[in-house]
Amino acid sequence: MTIHRVIRKVQRFEGWFGGGALLCLIAGLYLGLIGSPPDYYQGEVVRIMYIHVPLAHTSLLGYTILAAGSLWYLWKRDPIVDNMCQAVAALSAVFTALALGTGMIWGKPTWDTWWTWDARLTSFTVLLLILIGYLMLRTFVDDPEKEARYGAILAIVGFVDLPIIHFSVEWWRTLHQPQSISMRGVSISSGLLVPLLFMSVGMSLLFSYMLMVRTQLLYLDRLLHAKKGRLLSQFHLSKSDS
Amino acid sequence: MTSLNVIRWIVWKDFVTELRSRETISSMVFFALIVILIFSFSFSMDHQAAREVIAGIMWVAFAFTGIIGLGKSFSTELQNDCLEALQMVPEAKGAIYLGKVTANFAFMFVVEILLFPMFVILFNLEVVEEISLLLLVFFLATVGLSAIGTLFSALTVQIRAREVMLPILLLPLVLPVMIAAVEATKGALNGDPLAMYEQWLELLAVYDVVFTVVSFWMFEFVMDS
Amino acid sequence: MTNLHRRWGGVFLVAIVFIVLTYNHYRDNLASLAPEQVKQETPAGEIRVLGMVQGGTLETRGAGEATFALLGKSATLPVHYQGPPPDNLRELKILILIGTWNADRQVFEAHDIGIVPNYGFIAGAYLLGLLPLALLLFAMTRRVHSLYEEIKASTLYEEE
Repeated sequence: MTIHRVIRKVQRFEGWFGGGALLCLIAGLYLGLIGSPPDYYQGEVVRIMYIHVPLAHTSLLGYTILAAGSLWYLWKRDPIVDNMCQAVAALSAVFTALALGTGMIWGKPTWDTWWTWDARLTSFTVLLLILIGYLMLRTFVDDPEKEARYGAILAIVGFVDLPIIHFSVEWWRTLHQPQSISMRGVSISSGLLVPLLFMSVGMSLLFSYMLMVRTQLLYLDRLLHAKKGRLLSQFHLSKSDS
Repeated sequence: MTSLNVIRWIVWKDFVTELRSRETISSMVFFALIVILIFSFSFSMDHQAAREVIAGIMWVAFAFTGIIGLGKSFSTELQNDCLEALQMVPEAKGAIYLGKVTANFAFMFVVEILLFPMFVILFNLEVVEEISLLLLVFFLATVGLSAIGTLFSALTVQIRAREVMLPILLLPLVLPVMIAAVEATKGALNGDPLAMYEQWLELLAVYDVVFTVVSFWMFEFVMDS
Repeated sequence: MTNLHRRWGGVFLVAIVFIVLTYNHYRDNLASLAPEQVKQETPAGEIRVLGMVQGGTLETRGAGEATFALLGKSATLPVHYQGPPPDNLRELKILILIGTWNADRQVFEAHDIGIVPNYGFIAGAYLLGLLPLALLLFAMTRRVHSLYEEIKASTLYEEE
């Protein structure tokens, strides 16, 4: 039984990403929670930004990886790429959900409401719906090749749609919402930028690390499945021979 | 057989089957009537409130009926393995897509034209002067819905739980169409100047072009096996 | 004690140390008394009192001086504030007052206004952001670990 060389390489190098993520996150959390002063307007609540914004960035990064991987899959039809796509979609969905959750927690003390139909919140919700749709679609297809192909198509169409969704929701919001509740109120001064940078880099590294682990997981699962099937058929063949 | 012929034959085939069975359009119209009825019961509306929500109700009804039509578009091909036959067409698969989009668009547009007088009567709308603008909104939004809907109809037809998966996948993606169509319809019904909702018509046009191209391209991969 | 357990034990330790450090850093800001506690216990020295400025009681005299009643759950506390001109002193505003309790005149002499801590939101956001990720990552690494073991063992479906 041989393990694909890409997976072997991932296995060798994933530790660097995990360690880097840990170091960056520790530095970012220290600077964000202890080392930096509270914001003049928002007070201590501004510290939620250091976790919320990196989560949101990373989920968008994840969706970009998903779209690129899907294009690559349609071009090369490499099953490993499909494993990567499936892994990145699940992780992106988790990161998007967490970004929405932390955003809601941030909104409560800042704007005194858990939810507003803000352009960014709405487009992130739609992004989450698309990702959940993607994962659901994959569970409903029986043939693995077809599953990969259909998933890739949905991911690419959704990726093209996302900017249009964002623009339409933004236009719609400017028509229907009072300007008082707005995400634009957050101006980022340089003092806030350093912990934000560390957290963003740390989250991206953490995402990459989790992606590597999950890709391995899906690949090994498939490998083991195939191996079991092969051994089972060998077993039955030998039985029928004798 | 050129690609143009493929398009023509597919449209002709869908029209003839529809004329013989009258399944799709009649079920779409009937379903839309039920949706309208339920909406008029769930909001107790006076004349002023009706003007505010009528565009929304209209497009929810149109989108749901559209999904019924789109779902039927490819599931009828499953009988007698017509789908395999379509996949074996030697011309580019995009031609099949264009034929199907044309047929789906025609069905949805006909249903919308049939339903619009119902809205006018049931919700006491004043018949507006800008009826041509309203038709333009219907046209652009329906092109968008059918362009992306046909792709997903073909994609979900061979999976389990396809009746559920089609709306789940489609509705988040057509959100811009819904927003733009509702806003533009509202503007046209209120008789607002065109400049106030022009941007929504532009958005619909951009959406139509982008997703006709993307779906045309992606359809190759749906059908390829 | 596998490599996996050692690694995650390290992460767990770092997390604990970090939580303790952060808690220590903010402990001073967290500790505050309620108006009814102040009245009953009459604490000496500098204290921090958390309450809401009662509506209709705020009287400002000059830039840095004001009197008002601070509303708690079951008692109100008369307050005399004298200090730097406050920019967030309004009626119905929840705030923290820093000062001393004058038991003779039954008035709280405040000299500074602190930021109301909503550390609950911050802690909630960080826990919500990081805990699920850590749990998910742990579950995934453990599964990958066992899959490698299973593949290496390769004792599947051997002849009976």
